[in-house]
Amino acid sequence: MTVELAVSVGGLQLRGPVLAASGTFGYGTEVPLLERRALGGVVSKGIFLKPRKGTPPPRIAETPSGMLNAIGLQGPGADALVRDYAPQWAKWDFPVLVNINGESASEYGELAARLDGVPGVAGFEINISCPNVEQGGMYFGNDPRAAAAVTEAVRKRTRLPVWVKLTPMVSDIGVIARAVEAAGADALSAVNTFVGMSMDLNAYRPRLSFRTGGLSGPAIRPLAVHLAHQAARAVDIPVVGVGGIMNAEDALEFLVAGCKAVQVGTATFVNPTAIASVHDGIATFLAAKGLASLADLPRYLPRD
Amino acid sequence: MGSGLVLLDAPLTAAREVAYGMWVISLQAPEVAATARAGQFVNLGLEGFLLRRPFSVYRADGDQIEVILKAVGGGTQRLLSMRTGDVVNCLGPLGHGFDFGGGGKTVVLVSGGLGVAPMPLAARDARAAGLQVTWVHGARTAGELCLESDGDDVIMATDDGTSGFAGTAVAAAPDADLVLACGPNRMLAAVADRWPDAQVAVETYMGCGTGVCLGCAVPLARGGYDRACTEGPVYRAADVDWSALPFRLPYAVTA
Repeated sequence: MTVELAVSVGGLQLRGPVLAASGTFGYGTEVPLLERRALGGVVSKGIFLKPRKGTPPPRIAETPSGMLNAIGLQGPGADALVRDYAPQWAKWDFPVLVNINGESASEYGELAARLDGVPGVAGFEINISCPNVEQGGMYFGNDPRAAAAVTEAVRKRTRLPVWVKLTPMVSDIGVIARAVEAAGADALSAVNTFVGMSMDLNAYRPRLSFRTGGLSGPAIRPLAVHLAHQAARAVDIPVVGVGGIMNAEDALEFLVAGCKAVQVGTATFVNPTAIASVHDGIATFLAAKGLASLADLPRYLPRD
Repeated sequence: MGSGLVLLDAPLTAAREVAYGMWVISLQAPEVAATARAGQFVNLGLEGFLLRRPFSVYRADGDQIEVILKAVGGGTQRLLSMRTGDVVNCLGPLGHGFDFGGGGKTVVLVSGGLGVAPMPLAARDARAAGLQVTWVHGARTAGELCLESDGDDVIMATDDGTSGFAGTAVAAAPDADLVLACGPNRMLAAVADRWPDAQVAVETYMGCGTGVCLGCAVPLARGGYDRACTEGPVYRAADVDWSALPFRLPYAVTA
């Protein structure tokens, strides 16, 4: 039985529901042993307009069922991305969304304008988990007005699909989700890493040089499923579930919770072929349940 | 990186203690054994731990590879508790190893503690390049010296003078056309002072081992960072900004 896995998400036609999450797949050119047939799409490593050096080591720390990272959005900047990576993306048979970052709403908009129309750039995923330098370093993603302002700044500068990656570090994700939907987002990615900390008991200081880091991996999965579900209930635009997916069953939890697609991240660090096994496992599950397509998968999405 | 990289389940075939608490384990990994070069590493996946653990390839012979380790954390304890036939998921070979070109006649291999990890393969590849090999290995004390060696000349050193040269491996080492070193970052900083052109294999924390996570950042003297797993783990000693690299890791990774 052939199962139809193609899905339309936020203005993009995907041949499968599994994308590579930002920051875990480089610019799509680095991951070895990759089975491209299973890739619904790639979200690039987060990029700023200008090159970024990144944080000093140590940048990562393993924690129970997870890892903390503080890479500092190291990256080559928009010009290098356009020169070195986009021409490769233009030849691929799956879309690449660029994860965009900024220190002010206008910088996000400027970056979107720089990349808009560049062959190979299929859309944007806005990382709103950046500090707003113009407003005392408060995170855009924690404030519905700031999150909406960033979304609007990008929306005005491009006709390409705009996804917004939500931070889990909020008291009500539905409020932020509705705010960015109203500002013109085509889809939401839920959720980014949780802020965490781990102490080195020999040095009596944090294990990461940046002190805190983003927690990812299976440790956050039930939290992420809950938040993605809450976001999906709050909005009409599609939600892409992300957070600790290691196998097909994990991905299916997000899909049943109301997500239209998923992103796989930390699992790729552990196993470069993880995305293919998630993709194939979803097809196997649907076939075993007698479902002809992903669209036939029952969703638990009460609207009360 | 790239050519020859494989992902396979590798059964453990043997283990031997080579110094106090220091073990060499053998894994059946034919495709890795066939292509691994000195200084390259494998990233081993262990049940019960999310991230893989990087280990320099110590020896490669027939269809077997060897890695050397001490129990320094949960992952290495798990590896050392495994029995013959137990399986480790092995990704490798990874990274850029030592370069034996340049037309020299002599090489000195300088290692401290677990930094002995890439040296047996380095001796093999150096001989294949026609070099005369001097093996210099140091440890804190006699019981911690790895007594397995492979050099035309062999020099052992201990910090406390309980065996061989009294002092560091760097102090004990003669000059040579080519200097290759591996050990604690503090030792490698001393190598950089004495031989700026030495090739050193650095140890860092590592996430994916394949170049995507940017977790294994190595600070460069010219500014910025690159990746131990991909551009490294072998660097020209003077190219690393040693003052920005953590000297003491809560656990020791031999990569």
